[in-house]
Amino acid sequence: MSGDKQQVSRRQFLNYTLTGVGGFMAAGIMVPMLRMAVDPVLKTSGHGDFANVNLAVDDITKDPQRVEWEIEQVDGWYKSNVKKAAWVYKNDEGDIIALSPICKHLGCVVTWEGSDQHPNEFFCPCHDGRYYKSGVNVEGTPPTAPLDMYEKKVENGMLYLGEVKPHKEA
Amino acid sequence: MKWTKTDLAQFLQAQEYVDTILIPLIPFQFSQEKDMEKEASQSEWVSLFAMGIEKELAGRVMLVPSYHYLKSADKQMEIERLNDWMANIQAQPFKHIFYLTMDGAWKKEEGALTGNLLWFPMMYDYKNDSGTGDLLQEQIDQVIEVIRTFWA
Ligand code: FES
Repeated sequence: MSGDKQQVSRRQFLNYTLTGVGGFMAAGIMVPMLRMAVDPVLKTSGHGDFANVNLAVDDITKDPQRVEWEIEQVDGWYKSNVKKAAWVYKNDEGDIIALSPICKHLGCVVTWEGSDQHPNEFFCPCHDGRYYKSGVNVEGTPPTAPLDMYEKKVENGMLYLGEVKPHKEA
Repeated sequence: MKWTKTDLAQFLQAQEYVDTILIPLIPFQFSQEKDMEKEASQSEWVSLFAMGIEKELAGRVMLVPSYHYLKSADKQMEIERLNDWMANIQAQPFKHIFYLTMDGAWKKEEGALTGNLLWFPMMYDYKNDSGTGDLLQEQIDQVIEVIRTFWA
């Protein structure tokens, strides 16, 4: 009575089961890995490291102009919108320069030509810190380093800004 | 700078550069229902305002925890208490003290306070939350101008 029915031997049964479980585990590992590989592609622009700051490259002149944008910052479980700002202009070589407005002394916000006495410079209202147009600090004023620079890229004629990096002349 | 651990660490390194105190004066109460929303809205605006100023002038201005009081409380008592706060704060070499408020009741007590009162009226429609960011920024810039005239 048992002969014909026993088509699956004990060994086969174990094999099938183990392969099944193994396959399941492999899938469990592979799926997140695949996701990680594909995820950057699925991400929408704007959630990446660069933000569109709503400034067309054609509108960037030799005069520094202030641009502002918002990014979403996640700090542990706390999500908030953070305002960012930059001073953007084209230098004499025609390269786009995007400087952070945060004074390297103690962190006030600098303004282009913020002081009538110091034309053609960035000025910090807190302790009269000054920077040349290049972002390099003026010797003898409180800041000891040039203004940070934003990473930048251009896409479809629009300016995108990313992380701040130390000034290349720092 | 703010009353936070990281900012205070920076402050203790650079005390001589941080000579200005900014302190929001914010009333609250639960007894007059019809004014509650308006006052809460003012409280939010003053806080936003204070943070906006602190952000621009972080290297020279210390934003201290807001002073909260009952709207109906006796102002003389509050002034005494505030001046105690200021006496303590001046253990550090602060030269300028600014109170930031939308509560007009302080205006006539201004003279009794140690420091300067920056009072500004409600310019926003609190019922519709229609204060725009631009309007806020504009007002912040104006107040910053006022503070800078005291520095000059
Ligand atoms: S914070 Fe800019 S000069 Fe001190």
